[in-house]
Amino acid sequence: MSLRSQLLKGVLEGCILSVINRQSTYGYELSLRLQEYGLSDVSEGSIYPILLRLQKENLIEGTMQKSELGPKRKYYHLTEDGENALREFMEQWENIKLPVDNIINKGGETR
Amino acid sequence: MNSKDFIKLNNDMREKLSEENKEIYEDMLVYIRLNGNKSEQQTEEVLFELLEHLLEAQKEGKTARDVFGHNLRKYCDELIAEIPGEKQSFALLFGAYIVIYFLGILSTFHGIANFVLHQFFDVGSNDFTFSIGSGITVVIIDLVILSGFILIILRWLRNSTFKEKKPKKWVEFLQLWFISMIFIGATVLVPIIMPSFGSEITIPVLFFAVIGVLLFLISFVLNKKFRITK
Repeated sequence: MSLRSQLLKGVLEGCILSVINRQSTYGYELSLRLQEYGLSDVSEGSIYPILLRLQKENLIEGTMQKSELGPKRKYYHLTEDGENALREFMEQWENIKLPVDNIINKGGETR
Repeated sequence: MNSKDFIKLNNDMREKLSEENKEIYEDMLVYIRLNGNKSEQQTEEVLFELLEHLLEAQKEGKTARDVFGHNLRKYCDELIAEIPGEKQSFALLFGAYIVIYFLGILSTFHGIANFVLHQFFDVGSNDFTFSIGSGITVVIIDLVILSGFILIILRWLRNSTFKEKKPKKWVEFLQLWFISMIFIGATVLVPIIMPSFGSEITIPVLFFAVIGVLLFLISFVLNKKFRITK
């Protein structure tokens, strides 16, 4: 896997953890939320391999619940490990966001 | 919900898919289900999620390719890679179930066929004589042939997915017929060409039928208790 897609995957994982942390949700709704936030480049289906991995790593858990409209859906919520992983992601992101922005902007200004 | 409950639900809900989406989804379903030794529970859960997603997306006029991308095989491979493996204990149980079931069929038919031949057509005899050594060897070789047969059929099914052009029905039928003929032929041939060794014993042919029915009962109880196929 290229570094670029590695990076994207890591970021996407963090975003998914963050959305689930705000409110427990199911696959389709999760993909809508991500698109609402502007991640429209991410194809809808690509969340499912990530959801599987997060479950395997025991960061999220799914439970079958009846939704308001009837059909049963698998709602995800964070486990304790997941909450820790999210906190870690937020710290790392905070540490990398500003420097990267600075580098990119300064880089553009060089003569 | 057990994996079998998901399969049932999936069967019902799949009918709501449009013709085009259904064809693609069912290819994905076959491909992902035949993924080897992966947890059936997790496999069915994710298949169910994909189906629900597709049904929602369909309401917005999207197709399966819009949702899952254009390289469906690659997408499915990514999913499969993330599905945890089946528990070894269940894999062993499943293997034992198939072996017991297969031996049950073999033994029952062997017993009944020989009994009928002798009683009504006066062919053969009421007793069956075989040597223990070659008897056991034949059973083991037949089981190996059976596992080869199962693997070939699984591979054939998996290769039949994601075809741009669907092959003709009669071609597929002939292929499967040919594979099955070789399997049946080999299974029957082994006891015929096997030289006899080890001490000989003689038992009434109906005894085979009794053992066969017993094996059936065991496989039935196993299935009921651990929900292997239902």
